[in-house]
Amino acid sequence: MNRRAFLRTTGVALGAVALAGLPVRAQGLEGEDLANLEKALQAVLGKGFKDLTPSNLIKLTMPAIAESGANVPAEVEVNLPSNQVKAIHLFADKNPTPHLVAFMPMKALPYYATRVRLAETSAVRAVVETADGKLLLASASTRVTVGGCG
Amino acid sequence: MPIRTIVRLTPAKPKAGENFKLQVVAQHPNEPGTRKDAEGKLIPAKYINLVEVYFEGEKVAEARPGPSTSANPLYGFMFKAEKVGTFTVKLKDTDGDTGEGTVKLELA
Repeated sequence: MNRRAFLRTTGVALGAVALAGLPVRAQGLEGEDLANLEKALQAVLGKGFKDLTPSNLIKLTMPAIAESGANVPAEVEVNLPSNQVKAIHLFADKNPTPHLVAFMPMKALPYYATRVRLAETSAVRAVVETADGKLLLASASTRVTVGGCG
Repeated sequence: MPIRTIVRLTPAKPKAGENFKLQVVAQHPNEPGTRKDAEGKLIPAKYINLVEVYFEGEKVAEARPGPSTSANPLYGFMFKAEKVGTFTVKLKDTDGDTGEGTVKLELA
């Protein structure tokens, strides 16, 4: 490992340690359903909610209130160099299929925008798989007036 | 039936070194398979599950959307403007229908 790679990995590790102290559940998100989310995380990533590290490198933009759950804009931006981001995933806790999308940036910048369906008021998660195998998490919550899946 | 696919860049003519967005809009019902029709029967799932972005023939990004994507979906990507060339976006849905759209990247 050269000096630059070493510095990069220790930097990320230190950041992870600093953030690991935060209680994940203390965010008190509306529409949280960890049991449903856990199944999807295991199916997609082979890891559970405990393996995710909350990170402020991820900016997840969701509206606080969506009148219709059929068409909710979602935007993720990751403040990391492109080559360190392997994939960006979006999950919605309360959806029948919680996994919304997997995005592989490759030559693109680690940014993804889409419009999703939300079945009901739900916590939404952005999970970033980094090149060195870490899983970073950002959460948001959207209150839905009319569901978009039923 | 081919999926109608529209691709555009914002800003339309970025400066060299500037970041720009590549936005794709598809005309597609994106049925998640959980919705019911007027008679109460489930509408079968049919949604776009593969979005590939090519630049000058080289694959530069890929998204795999799930069933929970809105009808007439939007997919937004961000790139850094380096050289002129053509972006091609290829879509595929769960029934094997495909769509394709192109846009030319010109520098200001």
